[in-house]
Amino acid sequence: MSSHKRHPIFSSYTFESNFLDEVFGGNGAIKPVYKTLLNIYGSYSIDDFTKLNEKAKASFFNQGITFQVYGNNQTKEKIFPYDLFPRIIDSKEWEHIEKGVLQRSKALNLFLWDIYHDQKIIKQGIVPKDLIYSSVNYLKQMIGYNPPGKIYNHISGTDLIKHSDGKYYVLEDNIRCPSGVSYVICNRTALKRALFGVFNQYKIQSVTEYSKNLLDILETVKPKGVDTPTTVVLTPGVFNSAYYEHSYLAKGMGVELVEGRDLFVKQGFVYMKTINGPKRVDVIYRRIDDAFIDPKVFNKDSLLGVPGLFKAYLRGNVCLANAPGTGVADDKAVYTYMPEIIKYYLDEDPILNNVHTYHCSRPDDLKFVMENIHNLVVKPVDEAGGYGVSIGNKLTIEEIEKVKAVIKENPRKYIAQPIMSLSTHSTYIESEKSFEPRHVDLRTYTLLGSNKDFVLKGGLTRVALQKGNLIVNSSQGGGSKDTWVLKN
Amino acid sequence: MLARVANNLFWMGRYIERSEHIARYLCVNYFSSLDAPNIHSQSRQFVLESMMYMVGEPSAKGEKLKESDVLLNIGLNLDKSYSIINCVKLARENANSARDLISTELYEAINKFYHFVLNYSVEDFLKKGLYDFTTNVMEYTAILKAKIRTTLLYDEVFSIIKLGVNLDRATQTIRIINTKYNDIRMISEQDNSTIDVSLEWSTLLKCVESYDMMNRFQKSAPSTKNTLDFLILNNKCPRSVINSLEEMTNYVQVLSSEKNPPKDSAIFLVNKIYAEYKYKYIEEIEIDFQSFIENILDNLVKISTKLEDEYFNY
Repeated sequence: MSSHKRHPIFSSYTFESNFLDEVFGGNGAIKPVYKTLLNIYGSYSIDDFTKLNEKAKASFFNQGITFQVYGNNQTKEKIFPYDLFPRIIDSKEWEHIEKGVLQRSKALNLFLWDIYHDQKIIKQGIVPKDLIYSSVNYLKQMIGYNPPGKIYNHISGTDLIKHSDGKYYVLEDNIRCPSGVSYVICNRTALKRALFGVFNQYKIQSVTEYSKNLLDILETVKPKGVDTPTTVVLTPGVFNSAYYEHSYLAKGMGVELVEGRDLFVKQGFVYMKTINGPKRVDVIYRRIDDAFIDPKVFNKDSLLGVPGLFKAYLRGNVCLANAPGTGVADDKAVYTYMPEIIKYYLDEDPILNNVHTYHCSRPDDLKFVMENIHNLVVKPVDEAGGYGVSIGNKLTIEEIEKVKAVIKENPRKYIAQPIMSLSTHSTYIESEKSFEPRHVDLRTYTLLGSNKDFVLKGGLTRVALQKGNLIVNSSQGGGSKDTWVLKN
Repeated sequence: MLARVANNLFWMGRYIERSEHIARYLCVNYFSSLDAPNIHSQSRQFVLESMMYMVGEPSAKGEKLKESDVLLNIGLNLDKSYSIINCVKLARENANSARDLISTELYEAINKFYHFVLNYSVEDFLKKGLYDFTTNVMEYTAILKAKIRTTLLYDEVFSIIKLGVNLDRATQTIRIINTKYNDIRMISEQDNSTIDVSLEWSTLLKCVESYDMMNRFQKSAPSTKNTLDFLILNNKCPRSVINSLEEMTNYVQVLSSEKNPPKDSAIFLVNKIYAEYKYKYIEEIEIDFQSFIENILDNLVKISTKLEDEYFNY
């Protein structure tokens, strides 16, 4: 047994042979890249960690990175759980991830162009027509429209996991309004404040340049005839759970953070209401879903959007990022065709693996799913945030029957995948005052512009804080940790 | 800058300034009364009534005020619009909606302030924390104002915050003067003998952090006339109403590029009101002090309304 196991802070650390641990090998030996970190941690007492944990938490409170919990009498603010043990990814491993996520983003962009134009991939029988037309996120209004710079998914968030075979698998592509990037940056800030000494021992890639790159990317897709575009971030408002992120990005880019009520459309152009009168807006990084951006075209009750915005967009007078209608491509059913999509548009083999997926819309797959639910994860194709996900081996017999009935009712809505063994990572567990293994995933952020792209060298490592839980989404009680990508 | 956000920043400035004045009023009045030389100034009821009058909720005649209720309502009762905790909460909410425009340093300072007030134990506050709480509030607001001055770009964002700060400073100073004026009137009404009311004027000066400098400037005991002259018309006194108005003329100028502002503009109005007080002397005010106070408060409201119409209600 190595020395760290004797340290009281690791006293309750357990290993399970069917999961890969990011920090320790199967025999409990520390992986080389974590050695220095563990040596430093070894010199801290449990008391030290308790104090450091408080410091890190205070950092989040003071930075105002909180969300509201509504109680009986008053609303309380809480921080997203955060832990003191960073995840480390060495440069070689990162290179592989970076190439892989960029490849996927580019392929998805070409796929979107194709399905809103010639639909070659459908005509050639590679992707079934129904898959596209049955998706609520496929916008007929976008057919034939050329978005500025030919870019649809300016911002992509790719969710990856490391399976027990040591390989990365993509779980989801998020190309509507992927969130979380601000946490990458404030996790770093909080860890720096709490454990500054550790940073001298590693050469870590910086994550702070994301906003500047985002602005560069957004400015590459400015409307025709505009020299210096006015870019804004469109937020649903202060009560949105991602409001911190919206304000962070606006500040980072040095642009205005606007709400729908701050904008109006006149003669096909979009303006914001400033103290000195109307000012034209050219590029909108919108953090509002398609359904709410324009009550004249989509959800009529939407108070968040701007009447006439979509028309201004179709006229080419303003650019929206991401483009409306991208949601059709991050549908979990389209996901299953990603290897074919990459091959078709880029003529390359996928760099990152796809998890094998069963489509409940296919009779053979449906039969298999019905017989093997206990070994599968069942997911609705069009929900985000971990909602509606059933993990077969955690269900009772009655629950399995219920899930079966739900699938039967609308098979197109569900896919199933083998239960993936998300790797575990040492995580500081507040209630235990010790480090314990918890399941993690990794969300990366990729930007695509006209002749320009960028992958943030880092990512959001999300942690399922409950012991044994495999769902890492923050809406399901997940936390996150700082993620270090090492320099060469 | 967005009109909506400008409005929020204006109010952020106002609430920061307001929380400071209320905290100081609470602190100075409470502690100076403890060993006051005359029985009126020392009376608990008298001090509590003064506090309620200052925050704009004067007690009914003969109403018995309970110390813990008054302190709680003014300090930490979220249901009272005038409470310090509510001012800080609103300052922060306004900052929230503009956090992309203000510096991280300023935002963090506001946030720290908010958490300090929010987490302050009511029990501690009422039993032993009045001095600690109110002095901390004053210190936090001092930090905030330093952050405003030293971490923001000197552009319209800065100007709008400063407009809010100065407008509320002038308003609170006048309100405090009015309250003390009222206190003195009550003392005189209850006791016809010539009680020395200089303590109340000293308290007033301390409530606006101007006592020491008044001593240096006047070198005589504070009286109605010299105190009001100092706090309203003296441009050497940093908290004087005239100084707040002068600062407002500078900041409102930043919002417009017009060289000859029209008669119905905010710039014109602020300058006009400033000029009116700039050329006033104390003997004019002394004649009818009550009307003067009403008039100046009225003018300050006019400025606020004009700014709202012209810049915030696009």
